[in-house]
Amino acid sequence: MQPVTEPVESLEVTLTVNGTTVTKRAPVRKLLSDFIREDLGLTGTHVGCEHGVCGACTILLDGEPVRSCIMFAVQADGREVTTVEGITPPQGLSPLQQAFKDHHGLQCGFCTPGFLMTITGVNPDDYPDEESIRHMLAGNLCRCTGYQNIVKAVQAAWGRPTA
Amino acid sequence: MTDLRLAGRPAYFGAKVARVEDDRLLTGRASFVADVRLPDMVEMAMVRSLFAHATISVDLDAVRAADGVVDAVSASDLTDVGVYPDFITYMQPVKATVLATDKVRYVGAPIAAVVGEDRYRAEDGVELVEVEYGELPAVTTADAALADGAPKLFDHWPDNRIVNLPLELEDVEEVFRTHRVVSGRYATHRHSGVPMETRGCAAEYRHGRLTLWTATQSPHIVRTTLSYVLPIAERDIRVVAPDVGGGFGTKTHIYPEEVLVCWLAMRLGRPVRWIEDRTEHLVATNHAREHTLELEAAIDDDGTIAAVRCHLLHDVGSAEIFMPGICPTFVAGSHVAGAYRIPLAQNSYTQYVTNKTPSGAYRGFGAPEAYFAVERLVEKIAKEVAVDPIELRRKMLLDDGDLPYTTATGGIIDSGSFRASFERAVELGRKAEAKRRSEHDDDGSRIGFGVATYLEGTTPTYFGTTGHWTSHDSATVRIEPDGSAVVSVGVTTTGQGTTTMVAVLTADALGIPIESVRVEIGDTDSCPYGLGGWGSRSTVAGGGAILKAAGQVRDKVLRIAGHLLETDPADLEIEGGRVHVAGSPDHSVSIGDVGTAAWVRTVDLPRDEDPGLEVTATYDPPLLEHFADERGRMNGAAVWANATHAAVVKVDLQTGVVDILDYVVVHDCGPVLNPPILEGQVHGGVAQEIGGVLYEHFPYTEEGQPLATTFMDYLIPSATEVPDIVVEHFESPSPNMPLGLKGAGEGGCLGPPAALSNAICNALEEFDVDITELPLTPAVIRSKIRAGRGDA
Repeated sequence: MQPVTEPVESLEVTLTVNGTTVTKRAPVRKLLSDFIREDLGLTGTHVGCEHGVCGACTILLDGEPVRSCIMFAVQADGREVTTVEGITPPQGLSPLQQAFKDHHGLQCGFCTPGFLMTITGVNPDDYPDEESIRHMLAGNLCRCTGYQNIVKAVQAAWGRPTA
Repeated sequence: MTDLRLAGRPAYFGAKVARVEDDRLLTGRASFVADVRLPDMVEMAMVRSLFAHATISVDLDAVRAADGVVDAVSASDLTDVGVYPDFITYMQPVKATVLATDKVRYVGAPIAAVVGEDRYRAEDGVELVEVEYGELPAVTTADAALADGAPKLFDHWPDNRIVNLPLELEDVEEVFRTHRVVSGRYATHRHSGVPMETRGCAAEYRHGRLTLWTATQSPHIVRTTLSYVLPIAERDIRVVAPDVGGGFGTKTHIYPEEVLVCWLAMRLGRPVRWIEDRTEHLVATNHAREHTLELEAAIDDDGTIAAVRCHLLHDVGSAEIFMPGICPTFVAGSHVAGAYRIPLAQNSYTQYVTNKTPSGAYRGFGAPEAYFAVERLVEKIAKEVAVDPIELRRKMLLDDGDLPYTTATGGIIDSGSFRASFERAVELGRKAEAKRRSEHDDDGSRIGFGVATYLEGTTPTYFGTTGHWTSHDSATVRIEPDGSAVVSVGVTTTGQGTTTMVAVLTADALGIPIESVRVEIGDTDSCPYGLGGWGSRSTVAGGGAILKAAGQVRDKVLRIAGHLLETDPADLEIEGGRVHVAGSPDHSVSIGDVGTAAWVRTVDLPRDEDPGLEVTATYDPPLLEHFADERGRMNGAAVWANATHAAVVKVDLQTGVVDILDYVVVHDCGPVLNPPILEGQVHGGVAQEIGGVLYEHFPYTEEGQPLATTFMDYLIPSATEVPDIVVEHFESPSPNMPLGLKGAGEGGCLGPPAALSNAICNALEEFDVDITELPLTPAVIRSKIRAGRGDA
């Protein structure tokens, strides 16, 4: 993106989305979450609060989990974005998705893509036990499950006992 | 009538069957209402009241002239939109309108709608709407609302009472005159379901047909309600509930925005969508709870309760909501005798309006409020007569020998494990407590143990809530020519696994593989008329309809197969998608052969058999009552589940922070259809009400300004606040319900208010703490400790 020296309504952004380079014009005030959902058509990223608390809109930006509802699309220029569609294999489920299914780690599923992205973006070694896993998950709100089965799903996906 | 049973030995019922809805949700391929995109679609944004009580006048000239704004409307434009009907005869008529007419009665009340080319421009337009407010004095508490000469919300009412039903029963009064009385005033606070998906809807009007996609729990009831208020025939309305991201009662109501997007789509000839933002959600989607139960018990010398008398007060907010928000109070009343052998009860009701967001449905629907009161009062009685509260409960709990039992409030209890589940929960809880106490070596905190035990009415009457409908539901079961099956149902899902329940019952009732069943759900065009998913009803009411329809299909399958096999249908069995002669599995036809005969090779049908293999059935659960008798008694729920919760907590004496160390639920909702799904329901219910007890609250200023309007102020528990919950089941089948089933969606919510309060009081025994109000924030706990120490 060229340096911006005066107020503009929109800018052209180029970013890598799930491995593919995309160039699109975006209003400068457009949230990254809305851009992903509306302009890129990737509706797996959900919007739950639009003020950066609930974590439903979590994506990976250059591999790190971030909340796409408190960023502008133009801030993603030149960056690499991964959404839930990007961690889904062409057929079937990824091991993490399968672990959520096996352990009933989702009910309504609205918050689920956000959880999946947060978990995908962390290093399991940094979360060696249940307590640390719960801290890792604490930035994503779920209203259905009570979290117990999400914790189990994480443990299963990371090859740990789920007792 | 076809008996309601499965085809034979179940392949899926009771097994850990993976949910059929999961793959779509896990891969980002689900379709929530915000994912509905239609050609040429525009977006709506709402202008909402900034004042709690004010006259208004609205000027739309500036917004209508703005770039990117397609339309803007206020109440005066909605000349052909009706008011919501008031069907309930014992409440003051609210005559709620879609947009505020002459005045507003809560912050967040809808005043005008702006349609923009996109949501950003619609929201820009909202800024241009000029509303002139003439501020009026607001009432936000019971004392203010019920005071003589209080400012009235509704000019056509005598005062702010929306429901006023006093009751005095001579036999109850006599017991109170002759017994020792222990009483308490137990107040729950305002909080609500707050699903992760906010509300939202999108409407399209094409070729004379209106289609509304909406995040609702009850698409058929939305459709019927739209036909009441919009100038369009019900046959021309289609309502679709796509994937819905949680409801918990909030999405049973029919909201102004649902009417507005329809009306605007018809007016503009373009699809119109509205997606609620979270701040709107916290003021414009129904709140709940905020009941005060003045509960009295007349007791014998040993503490057992001879009669209860209760005055139930409920702050319903502005009451401008459809369905009305008054019904949870009656459900609370129906639970005041608890799971106990209490012969007499008397309930009086006072419900009042205030200048706050309308109150309405939330998981538990009055029962958590009731058990907070009942199970705290039992503790108080135990203290006063100096008996162990666990022992006092043992004396009063219903026993197997009492069954069937009619409670003092009219509940018909046909089965249960009141004592067995209680003892098991106490055993598990005490064991956990002992371990925690033995490991506890911190002077700055205290460990406590508490229980709550309850009966829970499930599959309730909707007549009580709405003045219409009972509790029926419907199902259509069809076997296609290739032997695959389609089941369409009137119950709906907001994430509970209902779709899987429907598939399991259909597969096992037809004797076919679950993979060959497709479930149609949430679409009024493809599903028969049903009441939706709420009230822990889908498995009972929907299940009854599925079993009824599938049973008739199964009978026809057997008749056709008997003809094809030249065998008496009575000698046939269905298993794994094949019909065979009993004891002779090789002598068989496939369900596909039968489906082909029914629809395609109709020449192969028996002479007196009509073509086709499809049945629609309705089912209204038996025993359900819709009117209270002169003593206020009514069996308002078709079937009653029971459970006991036990909690072990640690209270930090300095900070007042409560840690839940252990939480046990021993639960009985009859036969378990799908163990992981049931446990998930219990986990979720407990987690929500842990939030309600410790964190979640909608406080208001005296002027009626809401103080929790973001997730920074309205605190939903995260993974670090909710403990692992130990769940065990008893399975006491109901003799009156299909397959003995009982509802299970809400039970988890009923225990935490009392179980946690009892545990906290136990932990703080040395400070002689009583808990009669929620929430229990650290500041509240600290002040109770200070008061107990005498340095308040």
